[in-house]
Amino acid sequence: MGLRVVKRDGLPLWKRAILYLSAVVLALLIGAAILLFLGVNPLDYYYQMFTMGTVNNPIAYKTFMNYIKELLPLALTSVALSLAFKMRFWNIGGEGQFIVGAITATYVALAWGPKLPTAVTLILMCVLAMVTAGLYGLLAGFLKVRFGTNETLLTLMLNYVALYALYFVGETKADWNLFLQEQSARPVFKSFKDIVAFPMIPIGDKFKLTSCVIFTLIIGVAIYIYLKYTKHGYEISVIGDSAGSARYAGMKVNRIVLRTVFLSAALIGLAAAFKVGSAGVLSTAITDDVGWTGIIVAWLAQLSTGMIFLVSALITVLQFGSTVAAATFRQVDSSFANMLQGIILFLVLAADFYTRFRIVRVKKGGKAHE
Amino acid sequence: MAENYAIELQGITKSFGKTVANNNVNLAVREGEILALLGENGSGKTTLMNMLAGIYKPDSGRILVGGKEVQIHSPEDSKRLGIGMVHQHFKLVDVFSAADNIWMGKDKAGLPLRRRRYDEIEEIAARFGFSIDPRKRVYNMSVSEKQTLEIIKVLYYGAKTIILDEPTAVLTVQEIEKLFDVLRRMKAEGHSIIIITHKLNEVMDISDRVAILRKGEYITTVNTPETTEQALTEWMVGRKVDLNIDRPHMETTRPLLEVRDLTIRNDEGAVAIDKVNFYIRGGEILGVAGIAGCGQKELCEAIAGLRPIESGQMVHKGDNIVGLSPKAILAKGISMSFIPEDRLGMGLAPSLSITDNMLLKKYREAKGPFVDRRAGRADAEEVIESLGVVTPSTETPVRRLSGGNVQKVLLGREIKAGPNVIVTAYPVRGLDIHSSYAIYDILNKQKLDGVGILFVGEDLDVMLALCDKIMVLCHGKVMGVVHAHKTSKEELGLMMTGALDLSEKYADKPAGIAKDSLLEPESAEEVRRESSTN
Repeated sequence: MGLRVVKRDGLPLWKRAILYLSAVVLALLIGAAILLFLGVNPLDYYYQMFTMGTVNNPIAYKTFMNYIKELLPLALTSVALSLAFKMRFWNIGGEGQFIVGAITATYVALAWGPKLPTAVTLILMCVLAMVTAGLYGLLAGFLKVRFGTNETLLTLMLNYVALYALYFVGETKADWNLFLQEQSARPVFKSFKDIVAFPMIPIGDKFKLTSCVIFTLIIGVAIYIYLKYTKHGYEISVIGDSAGSARYAGMKVNRIVLRTVFLSAALIGLAAAFKVGSAGVLSTAITDDVGWTGIIVAWLAQLSTGMIFLVSALITVLQFGSTVAAATFRQVDSSFANMLQGIILFLVLAADFYTRFRIVRVKKGGKAHE
Repeated sequence: MAENYAIELQGITKSFGKTVANNNVNLAVREGEILALLGENGSGKTTLMNMLAGIYKPDSGRILVGGKEVQIHSPEDSKRLGIGMVHQHFKLVDVFSAADNIWMGKDKAGLPLRRRRYDEIEEIAARFGFSIDPRKRVYNMSVSEKQTLEIIKVLYYGAKTIILDEPTAVLTVQEIEKLFDVLRRMKAEGHSIIIITHKLNEVMDISDRVAILRKGEYITTVNTPETTEQALTEWMVGRKVDLNIDRPHMETTRPLLEVRDLTIRNDEGAVAIDKVNFYIRGGEILGVAGIAGCGQKELCEAIAGLRPIESGQMVHKGDNIVGLSPKAILAKGISMSFIPEDRLGMGLAPSLSITDNMLLKKYREAKGPFVDRRAGRADAEEVIESLGVVTPSTETPVRRLSGGNVQKVLLGREIKAGPNVIVTAYPVRGLDIHSSYAIYDILNKQKLDGVGILFVGEDLDVMLALCDKIMVLCHGKVMGVVHAHKTSKEELGLMMTGALDLSEKYADKPAGIAKDSLLEPESAEEVRRESSTN
């Protein structure tokens, strides 16, 4: 007796939904087993995590505001990455591009913020962060189309270049370094909260929604339309599917690759501008790993723009919720969320396999049993 | 039963998902006979044979070898049972020598590579009348040499039954004759041979009996001498088919596309097309014959602007097209469709819908930043309707279609664009009779509309019937341009191997240079002088 993999197609949507959902449930069950082993009641823990501690909490609105602050950069970064992924350009450099964008935006805020009107500063922060991050991404793109270098390796290594540049800026006290506080003897990033920040939209008496939500949603819709209905989007999908056919159709493949990579990296730079513009201060952990998590989100969402927003919302609940839960359950570190995320990704990919294939038992004599 | 069967298949059923590839198929091959397995594409021939080779396992049914029921779980089982298969796409390691390709599959070869293996392989080759250099590396071999090596390989492993999957598709006429001699000799030694093909003349020539499959169903087995090509076709297709290919006569125009002294290098930098001259008039089909890989691909790519040329001229209606971008060449009305071996590589985006594929070359025409899908859908509906493409909808990804339908989509799009020159390479590659004839009809219709067609083909019979003239290439050189109704397969075969060179046949009219050329007379004169001094 043996097992055999058989292809299947046309699985109805609800069945696929059930498969994916059971993958998540299974991941939570595995997480529960680990929690039990640590001596924590998994039900209590998951309750804390999924409600993010907002139940019966007088300052729940603050939790929610922080949640959105974490969600936006992730969703935007993931949308940006999906642009490149659709073209089969493996941009693993979200982290680096985010950092470059963050440093640029912070520089604009600190150097020009005091002299310029807030709106102008904010626009400059966004535009220049997009340009520098875009160029940073373009570097890998250019080397790929010009010399055929591997973009996965290159963007990956450029992440570390950017990260160490950020460490350097964060730890070097010098006259030129306007990123640090002058008064402090230790190197501490200077806050520009009082100089410039994205406007908040008050909803109700306490809750304030950051204006970045609106910008991010607009960009999300724009990218959806861009990919689905425009000539550029069409070119991206043709190149992703068959670069040979694209060239045959008269597309200038290299130019399109560079354009798309620039756009992808520029949007990540914008996400970084939103982030520092809301936080009001640079930090060495400014990325919150969105460059990495964004890759997971993009693939879990199967590169569909709408799904990316949904998946980032859920992943952020996981991450943000585990930080909250870590305050109550001190034996479970907040990195529990990362582990859970890994298990979910793994199982969802397995579920993905089952949506396309099924396993059939084969008895001797060649008769198949389902 | 008096007859001894080498292999019997009884009630074999095999399905892939919802597709039934073989349904209750019976097949028996006698000891010492050549059995032809005939069927259209997708009729399940290769699937059936792969079950004997241990690549697939049947869902149900029995396999008998030498009268005893057996289980074939793997290629090793198959080898042990004395079954050897020569696949359509050779399974050889390019960087290994002939001997090592055979040696590496041997179970008891041991770790050290001994020099003796060369002698051993040479011996077995000689025994069956092959001549092969056991030290020659596969990447230096011609297609026919590789095939010989594959056959020696299965014989070396002691195969009693040999399965050949479309062995003649890649060979010249002369090579096919040689292969058939080998097969007859193996038969005389008591081997059983199953040969898969869809060329009827070969079936009649080589086989003792013919088994026919249609759409996965077993139809019948007949004795070859007692049947005719017409009868076999009807069994294979399931109805009466007219086997004649039309060659409508057309008044031709002045040359549409003229190529002079064209030299192109391939990806490795070697000369692929060497000082080639030819021209295409409106209303004629110019065939290009040649052994696989003798510059056809490079030529097509160069005309489409996808490959830079080394030297020479390409002139369309008197205008130079050398150095133009693919886009500019498209705009001149030159269409190129190349069906590569995997059938999807060039010209289509397999994951995209038929609609999106229709738009591939014309999406720019829409005004504004958006793609005009409505136009694409209308085109898709028209092509589906007029060419009889079998598809659930216009939004079905092209890769879900079967081979014939994919090619119809590609050719349909090219024709819709209204080109004046069509360059098409292997448009019927791997298609069954029915789909092939549909494609020939499409091409003939274009020819009657005054389009000039360059048809790069494989099957000489088809080219002789369809083309007006045939240009023969050998190692990138033109061996001559002959009128299809004045030449023969044998002549073409000799030209393809380079044994016959007709390029200098007429002293007053060099091959491939039109009398009423649109090239400047002075420059044409110059070209001629230059090529004669070289």
